[in-house]
Formats: sequence, C-alpha cells, structure tokens
Amino acid sequence: MTGYRIGVDVGGTFTDCVVMRPDGSLLLEKAPTTPGDQSDGVVNALTQAAAAEGLSLDGLLGQTDTIVHGTTTGDNTMIQMTGAPTGLIVTRGFRDEIEFRRCYKEDIWDPSLPAPYPIARRRVRLEVDERMTAEGEIETPLDEEGVRKAAARLRAFGVTSIAISFLHSYLNHTHELRAREIVLDEYPDVEMLSLSHEVLPKPPEFERTSTTLVNAYVGPPIARYLGRLTARLAEAGYGHELLVATSSGGVATADAAARRAVATIGSGPTGGVTASAKVAGTAGLGDVVSVDMGGTSYDVCLIRDGRPEIKMDWNWFHRYCIGIPMIDIPSVGAGGGSIIWEEGGVLHVGPQSAQSQPGPVCYGRGGTEPTVTDADLVLARLEPEGFANGRMTLDVEGARAALAKVGERVGMSVEDVAAAAVKIVDANMTDAVRRVLSLAGADPRKLNLVAFGGMGGVHANMQARALGMHRVVVPAAAAGFSALGLLSANHVVDDSRGYISPIAEVDLRHLGALASELEANARAELKVANVPDDRIHLEWSLLLVYPGQTFDVSIPVEHPADVDAAVNEFHRRNAEARLIEARAQDPILRGVRLVAVGEVSQPTDLVLERATSVEPRRKRRMWIGDGWHDDVPVYDMADVRPGISINGPAAIAGPFTTVIIGSGERAEATPEGDVLIDL
Amino acid sequence: MTIEATPGVDTVTATVIRSAMETICFEMATYVSRTATTPILNQSNERNATILDATGRLAALSVGIPQFMLSSTLPVRFASQFFDGELYPGDVLIANDPYHGGGHLPDVNVFAPVFDPDGHLMLFASIQCHHGDTGGAMAGGYNVFAKDIWSEGVRYPVLKLVERGEERRDVVLMMRSNSRLPGFIGDLRSQVGAAQLGARRLTEIIAEYGPGAVQGTVEWTIADATRRFSEEIATWPDGTYTADVYVDHDPAGNTDIHVHCEITVAGDRLIIDFDGSDTRPHIQAWSTFGNTRGNVIAQLASLVDPSIPKNEGFFNCIDLRVPEGCCLNPAEGKPVSSGTHHPGVEVGDAIAIAMSKILPDRCCPQSYKFGSPRQMWGDEDPRTGRSFFDHGGEVSAGWVSAVKGTDGWGALAASMGNLIKASAEINEQLFPHILRGRNFITDSGGPGQWRGGCGSRFIKEVRTPTYINQYVVNQRHTHPGIAGGHNGSPDICFVGDTKVETAVSGVLLETGDKLDYKFGGGGGWGDPLLRDPQAVLEDVWDEYVSIEAAKRDYGVIITGSLEEMTLALDEEATAKERASRA
Repeated sequence: MTGYRIGVDVGGTFTDCVVMRPDGSLLLEKAPTTPGDQSDGVVNALTQAAAAEGLSLDGLLGQTDTIVHGTTTGDNTMIQMTGAPTGLIVTRGFRDEIEFRRCYKEDIWDPSLPAPYPIARRRVRLEVDERMTAEGEIETPLDEEGVRKAAARLRAFGVTSIAISFLHSYLNHTHELRAREIVLDEYPDVEMLSLSHEVLPKPPEFERTSTTLVNAYVGPPIARYLGRLTARLAEAGYGHELLVATSSGGVATADAAARRAVATIGSGPTGGVTASAKVAGTAGLGDVVSVDMGGTSYDVCLIRDGRPEIKMDWNWFHRYCIGIPMIDIPSVGAGGGSIIWEEGGVLHVGPQSAQSQPGPVCYGRGGTEPTVTDADLVLARLEPEGFANGRMTLDVEGARAALAKVGERVGMSVEDVAAAAVKIVDANMTDAVRRVLSLAGADPRKLNLVAFGGMGGVHANMQARALGMHRVVVPAAAAGFSALGLLSANHVVDDSRGYISPIAEVDLRHLGALASELEANARAELKVANVPDDRIHLEWSLLLVYPGQTFDVSIPVEHPADVDAAVNEFHRRNAEARLIEARAQDPILRGVRLVAVGEVSQPTDLVLERATSVEPRRKRRMWIGDGWHDDVPVYDMADVRPGISINGPAAIAGPFTTVIIGSGERAEATPEGDVLIDL
Repeated sequence: MTIEATPGVDTVTATVIRSAMETICFEMATYVSRTATTPILNQSNERNATILDATGRLAALSVGIPQFMLSSTLPVRFASQFFDGELYPGDVLIANDPYHGGGHLPDVNVFAPVFDPDGHLMLFASIQCHHGDTGGAMAGGYNVFAKDIWSEGVRYPVLKLVERGEERRDVVLMMRSNSRLPGFIGDLRSQVGAAQLGARRLTEIIAEYGPGAVQGTVEWTIADATRRFSEEIATWPDGTYTADVYVDHDPAGNTDIHVHCEITVAGDRLIIDFDGSDTRPHIQAWSTFGNTRGNVIAQLASLVDPSIPKNEGFFNCIDLRVPEGCCLNPAEGKPVSSGTHHPGVEVGDAIAIAMSKILPDRCCPQSYKFGSPRQMWGDEDPRTGRSFFDHGGEVSAGWVSAVKGTDGWGALAASMGNLIKASAEINEQLFPHILRGRNFITDSGGPGQWRGGCGSRFIKEVRTPTYINQYVVNQRHTHPGIAGGHNGSPDICFVGDTKVETAVSGVLLETGDKLDYKFGGGGGWGDPLLRDPQAVLEDVWDEYVSIEAAKRDYGVIITGSLEEMTLALDEEATAKERASRA
C-alpha cells in the first residue's frame, strides 16, 4: 500500500468523503449532496478533501489507489420513479405477475392503499409463445416472429429498456438468449436489455420478473451516472477502477454495477454495517447488532460470525420485490428528527420526521415541532455549544418552548415530556431490534451493540439495557462511518444457478457443471476488478427446502458436490428450531450458490497513544435514563484514549454527537479510540 | 378528549408496554414462519398471533389474516373457563373445535397461560395456524360435502399438549394418529415453541414493569380502542341500515344461501343483528359464531382509522346478535369447513353494503369468492412414481373491490393481502401439471367511478390423470359494487369440458385435460358515468377495459385501435353519450 484510499458515500443531506492516508490516519470531509447529479457532490467533497490535505484534486487522485463509492442514484430513481421507459416480454399467459405480486399488499387494513407506480404498464408487457417445462425441456418453441413484433411494438411505445422473463429460464435460458438476439436485431439502439436468468437465475417467476424489471428500469440512469463520474475522475487524474458499493455489502467495478444496477439499490447503509462488523471484530464483541440512528431513520442489522445477515428472495424496496441477496437492514422511522406529538392525551414519537429542513426546533432553522433532538437537549444530554464541529449553537429555550406546548396537552412538565419522549423513542427502537432479531431467530441477550450515526451514542446504553445486552461500542468515527466502511468492503460476486431435484436423484455431473460455470463467471468478473487469484476465496452453498417449502435455505458447504454434508446440516438446523419431525422427509435441492469474495487489502488501523487518566471538561445536571443527576462529568471525545476508564453517569461529547454512560456503567477506549461501554 | 390515566400505569409506560406486546405477537408469528414446514404457514403467513388477558379478552394482535386473528379469542375463553384453577406455568394448550369457539377444524389454536409472580393467571400468548389436514373422511381438511362436523375431521375442544413444561406423549400420539400429514406434529411443535416464546417474553415484561402496570396497560389499550372506535361511530348518522347478500348455493346445490344484516347506529354504539338470515336446516353452509364475529370485526376495522389498535375495544362497541340456528351460528354438529368462507365472507359483504348507505367513502367489501380450495391429486406423478396432492394455492386474481379514490388493484383484497400465494414455477416442480396462464380478463372488473380490480383466467393442464375437487360460487351473486358501482364479473369454471354448476368432487381429468377457471372481478365504486374519461382511455390502452365496454359501461367514446396504437378519446362524443344517459 502506497497511496491514498478514499471512500465517498452519498447520504440524504451530505456526501461524506473519508480519505485514508498511507499511515492509516483519516481525514473526513462533507459536502452537500447534489440530488440532480450526485457526481457534482462527489467531486466537491473530493476537492475539499484534497484542499484539506494541501493538495490539488489531481494531486490527490493521482496518488490514490482506490476510490470506493456508495451511491443512492438507484434508490432515488425508485423513490421518484424517474427510470427508463421500460417494457417487458414474457411467456404467453404470464403478463400480469408484476401486478399480482403473489397477492402481497403492504397494508392489510387499509383498502385505500394505492397501487404501486407501474414500472411497465400492461400495454408494454407483451407476451410471446414459448414454454419450458419444469424439467427445463422445450415444450413450445420460441415464436421468433412474435419476439420481433414485440420488440418493434415496444420501440413504437417509446420503450428504451427491455426486460425479458420467460418461465423456467433459470433451468434453460436458450429462449431468453435467442430473444435477446432478435430484439437487438430489430431494435439495435435499445439502451438496455435485462434477461431474467442473468439478473436472478432462480425461481419463482414473480421474484425473478420483478427484480429483472427493476434492473431494467434503474439500469440506464445508473449506467449514465457511473459513466459520467468515471469520466470526471479519470479527467481529474484517477488512474484505477472506480468501485461501487452493492447491497450485499461488497463492491463491484463500475461496469459490473451498471450491468446489474439493481444490486446498488439499498446499498446506502451497507458501509456502516461493514464498518460495524470490523469494529466488533477488533473489539472482540462477538455477535452484534449494529444500529445507525441518524436524523430520520434507524437502521438495524444483525451481524453474526462477523457477517451481516443476508436476505434473498423476498426483499421489498420502494414497493417492488428485489430478490437478489442483500444485507438485511430494516429501517424504522426513528431518529433525532422524529417529531413528538399528542393524540387523545397520549404522547407519540415519530415516525414522521422534521427531516434536515427545517430540522429540530433547536437548530433554529424554522422548525416548530419538537423532536427527539430537542428532548435530548432539554435533558442536557446534548451540548448546546460547539455542535457540528463548532459551527452551530443549539437553541435550548426554543426547544423548551416547543416541548412545553405538547406538555400542556398531556399534563406534563417540559422535563417530564422530554424524558417520556426519550423513553418512547427508545422503546420504538428496541422493538424494532427485537423484530429484526426474531426474523433471524437470534436472542438479544447473547448479543452486543454497535451504535453509530449522529444520535447513536446518546441512546445506545438504554437500548442495550432494554435488550439485555452487556456491551456497547460507539465508534470514534461515527460521523463518517458509512464512508469508512466502504474502504474495508471486499469485492463480492454473489450468484446462483437453479437446479431442482429430489436429493436422492441429484446428478453430480450436472451440479458440477453449474458450479464450474458460476466459478468461471465470478473469476472473470474479479479479474476485471484486478483482484489477484490468491486473494479470491469461494464460498459455496447449496439451496435446500423440504417438500412444500418455497423459500430456499442456503446451506454453506466446502465444495458444491458435498450434498450429504448439506443435507445433514439442513436437518440439524431444522432440528435446532424444534422441527423434530423434519428428518422424516428428504429435502429437495433447489440450486447452487457461489459467493466469490475478492479480499481487498485491509486498511491500516491507526493506533492511538495510550493515556492513564482523563479529566472532564465540565460538569452539569443531566437526565440519564434513571432520572436526573447533578454534576455529571462531561468528557471530550478527543481526550478519550486507550487506557482510561470512565464511570457513569457521565457523557463524552464529540464534534457531532455525545455518548451517554449510565449509572453503574463503565466506559473505556479501544486502541483505535472507539468507546466501549460495559453495562 | 383526554383519556384518564388507568390505575397501575402511566400512559408513557403503557405506550411502551403495548408496543412491546405487539412486538411479542410479531415474534411469535415469525417463529412459526421460520420453523414450520407447511407452505401455508411458512409462505402464506396464515398464522395469527394474539395476546389475551385472563378472561380471554383480546389485548394485542399481530400480522396475519384479519378475520382469523380476530376469531382466536373464543377458544381461549372456553379453555380458560374449562380449566379454571387448573392452569399452571409451563402449560401449553391446543384447541380447534368450531363448537367451542373455533372457526373450522384446520385452524388450530395453540396457547400458553402467563402468570404473575404470585401465581395469578394474567395473560395468554396464543398462535393460530391453518393446517393441511384434519383427519376425517377426506384429505386436505376441506370436506365440503360433509353432512356433519364428524365427517370433516377430529375435534379438539381443548387439550393440554404440554403440562408444566412436559410434553404429553399420549396427546401427541393421538394427534399424530389423526392426521394424514407427516409434518403435522412438527408444525404443531412450531406453534408450541411460538406460544412458549410469547409466554416467556410476557413473563419478562411482567417482571420488569410489575403485574399492575401490565394489567393496567391491557385496560388502557382496550379503553383506547373502545374510545377511538366509539368516537368514529358517534360521527355516523343514527339509524338502521340493512343489507341482503346471497351465496349462489352450498356445495350440495341448495340455492341462494341468505345473509340478512341489520345495523343500527345508536349514538356511539352499533347493534348488528343477523336475524332473518338463512335457517334452512338441511343446507351445508354454516359459519360458526366465532367465524361470523371475526368477519364482522374485520370488515368494520377496514371502515375506520387503520391506526386504531385491533383489540377487544372493537367488540366493546358492538352489540352482536346472531340467532342460534341460522347459517351464521349453527347448532352443534353442522359441517362448517366450507361455511367458514361462504357464507362467512358474505358477512363482510353485508356489513359493507349496509354501511355504504352512510359511509360510502370507506366501504369496500373485503371478501373473496373462492368457493373451496382447488384440490387436485393423483396416484402417480410420472416423474417420480409417487402419489401427489396439490392444495391449489397458486396465485390468481379476483374479487378486489374499488374504494373511493382507488381502483381495485393487485390480486386479492387488502384483508387477504397477507396470504402469499404459490408460484407456477415451484408448483410445476412439485406437481405434474403445466400452467397455461393466469392473465387478467378484460372487462371483468365491476364498472364504477373507481373500477373494480379485474378477475383472471387461470388454466392448468394436467400431465397425468388427476382428480379434482372444486366448489364454485360467485356465478350469479357476484362480488358487489358500492355506491352505484357495478358488480364484478362472474366466476366460470370448467373442469375438462364440463362447466361446474355447483361443485365437483373427485372428477377425473385425463392427461392434457384442463381446469379453466375464470375468477370474477371486484365490485366497482360509484357511478361509472362519472369516471374520468382519461382513466377509461388508459384502461383501454391496458386492456382492462375494451373499447366496446368503454362505451357500454362508462359512456366513453374511444376511437382508433390498440393494435394500430391510435387510441384516442372523443371528448365531444363522450359528453353527448353521457348526457343522453343522464
């Protein structure tokens, strides 16, 4: 490692840029996000960072080995529904799957819930004659003339991006491949073609079709965006591949990301999760839950054995199903900006947020509705002075006045309503964590907590207590944590092939051929990303179900031919979940999956100088969770060094946030300067 | 209006405890989804978690199927009375008997009592799931031709499956011996695990906040729902509103099964009376009281603010009168497997139609008209040599009502929206058939200012000799329109060349024969002549509506052709056409 490494993460408000110097020290810069074209904000943040380092932009980029980029272009395209005009070609009889959604509706109690915005209206969902059987044999040959007509018709409708999804194409893709040739012949300047067996080569048809359709819709804008950014960076002197974060927690080259654009959707919070996994590993915390509490949302992720939970098949984003493997990071509407309100004499907090504009009342930007940040300020859990690196002073009186209004309606004092709001938002977040853990069958009492984001450290200890956890880590770099995480993300190619067979009848030669194909593709993709062979490791899984189950279970195996080992492990897992009867049934093989990981060389960790003691900067009266305490010492984050120990109640104030240490709790610093709280 | 603080708890703590209870329900339901083997449990989400208090009042409930969630209270209430003083920590009970509070035999309730530190019974953690077999004369748990309950399967009014933490081997053996499915006990144990998880978590909450605060929270949340529901009722005009709804026929061919509903709004209370509903003793269309009650509340809940907590508070505002012996409250012994659906869901239709006279803007029948599950089975799948049984749970679309402001969309009504249906690709792997299609049917959605969702044509071709059971309704009495909207299209079902007039049982399809089922559309909302002509044009572009129906049903004149991509709205001719009909 000789040069700089840079992570650039686009958030809702700011584009964060973390520059890691060759010695492992960090530089954080933030520039306003530019929603129209995120590449402006990216270049601005890089330019600022270069200036802070005393370099010109090309001076910095010329010495940079790696830029890893997290973009929300795909998510924004889905939120605003501004993707490419998209059409769909399907097997005759299956034109409406995308509307049926396997009968799923988001709210079962609200008949007025509107339909999702149609990516492809029915008029541009065209059918052709063709059919594969469930054994992958051609039952009805492809009507080539029909494909040609469909392509011409989609073109006439103004469609520029086409998705093709034929039944059982995950078993036999010859019709999809042939259809691509015909479409390209008929409509050579079509901007993008997405084939379902390439985007998500597995059943069932709804999940595959929906994922392919989203890929077709967001692909062209993402390809254009990454093309623009790559060109600008090259012009500014960057001489390597631009790497882009994906929703499975890995990175891909800009070209690969553009081809499988759907994989960038939901990638925003993955950087923080990757960084959490690393921090938890370094601090020896074992299995953890990472929570990112910012202004508007609270993102939760379970990390077991150093790996975040991955979810396949039934991921819903922006009202579309995206079946590819994604880090499972559910989000609830809880954060510093969550609004405190009253209805029928009952106090509520969120889920609506004051957003970044106008923001909490205490920011003095015109907000009138009290928020959690206002409550924390009134409870003296935030420092009014020196907020946001000294750029801002928080308005305590404004916050009190706004809380007083709500307090009147519920018959509580300002302090009591603030404390009640904190309890409620903590309970909402605790419940969110419990829900996430229940989906994974994890017991919170056996886990520890990594809390980051602007408000993470303020609320972490109370949540950890409510969940029965024993340790919390609040990273020192909490404010740029997502961008930092990008730097340690590995290249990941996560792909699978469908092969459905009763377990006793599995043809190992066929399985081997599928595995070889997966491996060859993955190695080719990693080669483009310049990952040397000795840094590639392959993680094989077999996908199994019991007869009658639909959702595959991915069972890790040493080698794709280890069918017996997979079956034993599958039975064992189900037995553990009390399914004692399950062993009576033979599972069905559903496919083979390969996660090919190209390890990036991990950044150098900076080790801080040790200290033996630390003095508080001041003392103040503060509400800690079990009530008000006088003379609570407030330490400065910059003083927190390995070797010190702080007993609660206490607070550690940093440039963007505060860490609260409750009564009976003890905090120390890790060698990297992260705050570790023992409950 | 400010609600009084409830003894034992302040509202902030109560808010926190209520939220924790809802989370526990979610955890229980999720536990079953993760651990059960049966598709209807692990994919379809047909598992309904609830928390009840010591007297069987509903305190909190979770994701699931609304009418079933709401019907899980009465079996717990019965068990609590039956085992009065004989329930102990560590007990887990099961119950499925329609005549002791249940809906129909496949719906098995599993529940665990929760005690305070002094040993007083406080709560029940309950999880209800639909199982694929109930013993009895026919596989699949749906013997729609049964003449009585005993030919439908085995009744378990209440059993202790686990006593003081020990599984009762004798009970498990008996239950195992009365199901055809190898996974039955595994699924049951999945429910037991969920109930135990719920009980453990509730015990933790009682320990943390104290029994007084938890009991206070139950009182408070029920009072909260009661207050909010009654406040909505108070805004409705007083008066009596009636509706008559019919099911075409029962599986035996008795026609026009009649549901009569009379709703009286009296201040902040509702009197809902089903006197006048069918009392013919020989019919085979019986919805138990518990099932009827669940459907009443599920439909009412869709009429009010969706954020009102779904608990006993809803029941508190209603005086429900269902005369014993009518089709909605049968005498013990009547068969109920098909009646759970018909006339069960027509109860909801009747409520929606009656209430549409005063609340047209919210009314939207949440029913489905599926007759019975589509069961197909055979002796030999040629690919494996083994017998097969297909419960017919694939996706198909139909009977989705419009509501003011929203056209019917998706495949099923919102209230059934948690029932995730099976896919063609997976089912073709499992069963020897090939699906020829299931597209929307043009002009099947009930015309209205907002259009009913389209029905779909579902064609399944068998690849080996296959038997089929199918009961078909919605042929004459179709899915209702509201506020001047028209009904949806009828269901039409062919088994091979034979149209199913009422029901078929064990009919043989030869290789290459087809089941061809046109599922009906949903009812429309409001006068179709008021529909925005531009919306009709869009519908024609998308073949939800034909050019002919645009004129016939909506008075909208569309020129050009879809094939030539020249469709256009003739505004002048449309105005003239509509004026001539006014």
